[in-house]
Amino acid sequence: MKVDKKLAAFEMFSLTMILIALKLTDTTPSLFAQKAQNAFWYIPLLAFIVILPSLLILLYLLKHYQAKHLINLLEILLGNKLGKAIGFIFLLLNITFISLDSRNYVEQIRNLYFLNSSTLIIFVLFTIICIFGAIRGIEVIGYTAKIFFPFIFISFFLLAFLIYEELVWDRIFPIFGSGLPLIVEESLLKGSIYSDFILLTMGYSAFRKSHDFNTGGLVGLLFAIGVITFFFLIYAVVFDYNSIEKISFPFHEITQYVNLGDFFTNIETFFMVFWLLATFIRFILLLYLLTWLFGAIFNIKHFELLILPMGYLVMVVGLVPDNSVVNELIYRNQLLNLMTPIIMGFPLVLLLIHLFKRKKVEN
Amino acid sequence: MKLLWLVLLSFFIMGCEDMIELEKQSYVIAVGIDETEQEGIFLFTFQIANPEVGSIASSVGSEQEASETVTIRGTDIMTATTTANAFVTKQIALDQTRVIIASESLARSDQFIRIIQSAGRTPQIRRSVQLIISQEDAATFIKNNQPTLEQRPHKYYQYMLTRAKETGIIPDADLHRFFQITEGDADLFLAMYATTNTDPKIDRGSEDNFYAGQIPKSGGNPTQFMGSAVFKEGIMIDRLTGEETRIANILDKTMEMSELLTTYPDPLAPKYRVAADYIQSQEPIIDIQYDAERNHATINVLVQFEIEILAIPSLVNYSQSEADKATLEKSIEDYNEAITKELIKKTQESYRAQPFYWSLYARKHFKDIPAFEQADWNKNIYPNADIHVSYQLKKMQFGNLLDDTNLNEVRD
Repeated sequence: MKVDKKLAAFEMFSLTMILIALKLTDTTPSLFAQKAQNAFWYIPLLAFIVILPSLLILLYLLKHYQAKHLINLLEILLGNKLGKAIGFIFLLLNITFISLDSRNYVEQIRNLYFLNSSTLIIFVLFTIICIFGAIRGIEVIGYTAKIFFPFIFISFFLLAFLIYEELVWDRIFPIFGSGLPLIVEESLLKGSIYSDFILLTMGYSAFRKSHDFNTGGLVGLLFAIGVITFFFLIYAVVFDYNSIEKISFPFHEITQYVNLGDFFTNIETFFMVFWLLATFIRFILLLYLLTWLFGAIFNIKHFELLILPMGYLVMVVGLVPDNSVVNELIYRNQLLNLMTPIIMGFPLVLLLIHLFKRKKVEN
Repeated sequence: MKLLWLVLLSFFIMGCEDMIELEKQSYVIAVGIDETEQEGIFLFTFQIANPEVGSIASSVGSEQEASETVTIRGTDIMTATTTANAFVTKQIALDQTRVIIASESLARSDQFIRIIQSAGRTPQIRRSVQLIISQEDAATFIKNNQPTLEQRPHKYYQYMLTRAKETGIIPDADLHRFFQITEGDADLFLAMYATTNTDPKIDRGSEDNFYAGQIPKSGGNPTQFMGSAVFKEGIMIDRLTGEETRIANILDKTMEMSELLTTYPDPLAPKYRVAADYIQSQEPIIDIQYDAERNHATINVLVQFEIEILAIPSLVNYSQSEADKATLEKSIEDYNEAITKELIKKTQESYRAQPFYWSLYARKHFKDIPAFEQADWNKNIYPNADIHVSYQLKKMQFGNLLDDTNLNEVRD
C-alpha cells in the first residue's frame, strides 16, 4: 500500500490557524492599542483587507507557473540572480522578524511562569525544542498541527466563555478610538502581521495539489482573522482603552483573571499548556520554513542539516534587545511598519512582470 | 555515545531552575498596607495561611494556628516579602493573595496610588485581588479579624466577600476595576469598606443604613464589611453606607447584584416596616441625551425591579386588597426613588463625579476618544446634568402565605 505522505487542505488550515491566530496571545494587541486606543480590535481586519490583494496575486502566480515555492517563482519571473537577491532580502527581514518574535514569546514564558530563570536559559531550551521538532520535517509538523489544533482552539474558546461575564460591550465606544486618520494609518502600516503566511508559501510543494494549499490557506486565514478580531474585541471590552495600553500580555492577564467556580480558582496553568503547545508548533514551523528559504536561495538540497545553525542564529539575534519593552515597542513596531510596503509591493511587481511576459509571448 | 545522551538529557533539568516545592512556600492570603511617619515607607502586614489546617493531611491532635501574621516596613510589597524572610521560614508567595487591605488614612493620602501601582506591576499579584479599606490600621484589622467558623483565611475571604457582594452592601472592588476606573478618569471607584472597631448605632431606620462598625450586634467575629470607600482619581474622598452602596450597585450595570433582603416603611402602619426580597433581574435603563453645543446632558434612569414580600409585621392585609397593594407598591417605588435621588444629589454636588460607571453610556455620543476627553464628562457634564430617576415595580409577590393571621381572631 502506498501512503501519500503529502499534506492536504486540512493540514494547511491548521498550520495557517496556528501560525496566524496565535498572534492574539502575544503583545500584538497592546502594540496596536498604543496608537489606536479602544479601536484597536478591528485593525487586524482592516490590515487584512489591505494585504489580501497581494496574497491573492501571489497564490495565483504560484499556481499559474506551477512553482515549487516562493524562491522558485521569483527565479522564474525575475531570472536567477535577481530572484535570489530579492529572496535574500526577504530572508534577512524574516530572520530579524522571527528572532524578535521568538524573543517576545520567551519573555512571555519567563515573565509568567519562570520568574527566576534567566532569559538565556529559557531561550536555549526553547530553541532546542524547536530544532528537534523542525528536524522531523514539514509533514510531521503538519500532522501535529492537525491533531492538536482542535484542542488549542477549544481551550481558547473556553477562556472566551469564562470571561464572558466580565465583558462590557459599551467599552467599544467611541467607535473610532483615537480618531479615524490614525486608525487608517495604523491599519495600512501593520499589514505585515500576516507576513508569516508568505513564508508559508515555501511549503507549496509539500502539498498534494495547489488547490489544497489555496483553499486550506485562505479558509485558515479567514478563520484566523475572525478569531483574532474576536479576541481583540474581548480585550478591548474587558480592559478598556487606558488599561490595555499598559498591559503587555492581555491573553495571560485574562487567564489569570478567570475562575472556574469557587473551587477551581487559579487555573491559568490549564490554558498555559495549550498555549505552549501552539507556540512550539508555530516556531517549529517558522524555523523549518526559514531554513527552507535559506536552502532554496543558496541551492542547498539537504537544507534540514542547516536547522541547527539557523536556530542558533535566530536565538542570538533574539537576545540582542536589552529588555522586552524595547523589543516590543521599538524594534518590532518599526520592523512591522517597514515590512508592510515590501510585502504589499513585491507581489504587485511580480504581477506586472507576469503580464508583461505574457504580452511578449502573445506578440 | 551514552555519555552524549546524558549530557543532552541534562539540558532538560534546566527547567527545574524555577522549581519550588509546595512545602517551601508561604502563601500570603491578605496583604495589609499602612502609612508610616516617613513618606515612601509603608508598613506591610502579611497574613500567611497554614495549608495544613483544615486539610486531610493534618494529623489528629496537632494544634497549629490557621494563619500567621507578620508586619514589616518597606517601600513596596515585593521587597517587603524578602525582608520578612528574616523571620518567616519559607519563601513568601503572593500567588494566592485574595485581598489587599489599606488603612483609611493611607487611602486618603496621595501615597495610595503609588503603592497600588507597584502591586499592579508585580506579576504574582492577580488583578482579581479585592481591595478593602479598613477604618483602623490594616495591621490592627488583620490582627483583630478572628473568624471562628471559617478558620482557613483564604476560604474566609472568599466566602465572606462573595456573600456580601451578592447582597449588594459592598461593591465588587478588584484591582482590575480600580485601575480601569482610575486610569479612565471618568468615574469614581468604590472600594469595600470594613472595620473591626465596633461603634453601634441603633436608630438608623433600616437594616443596611450603616457604615461598617455601626451594626448593633453581639457575638461573632468583630469584623464588619459594610458600605464602601469612594475614590476620586486614586484618593479616597468619602465613604458610603451599605444602603448607598446598594443603590450605587443597582445603578451600575457592570456590578452584579441579584437580590437582597431589605425593609421598607409600611405605608398604612408607619410604626412598622415591611420586609421584602428585592430582586433586580434587569439592568437599569440609563438614557443619556447629550447636547453637544451646550455640552449638557439629560439623564433618564429607569430601574425595573420585582419584590417578594416576606413579612408584614403590621398584619395589614396587603395581599387581598387591591387598593392597599397599590399603596404599598407606590410607597416602595417612592422610597427607592427618594434615596436614589438623595445619593445622586450628593454625588453631583459634593463629589462632582459619579460612582455608577455612567461614562459608558456617555461615550456613545462621541466619535473618538480625544473628543470625549475634551468634553470632560467627569468635570463638566455630569455635575451639571439634569437627572430624572424613576423606579418601576414590575411584579409583587407575597410569599407562600395567602393571608396573614387575623389578629382579632387570635386574641379572642
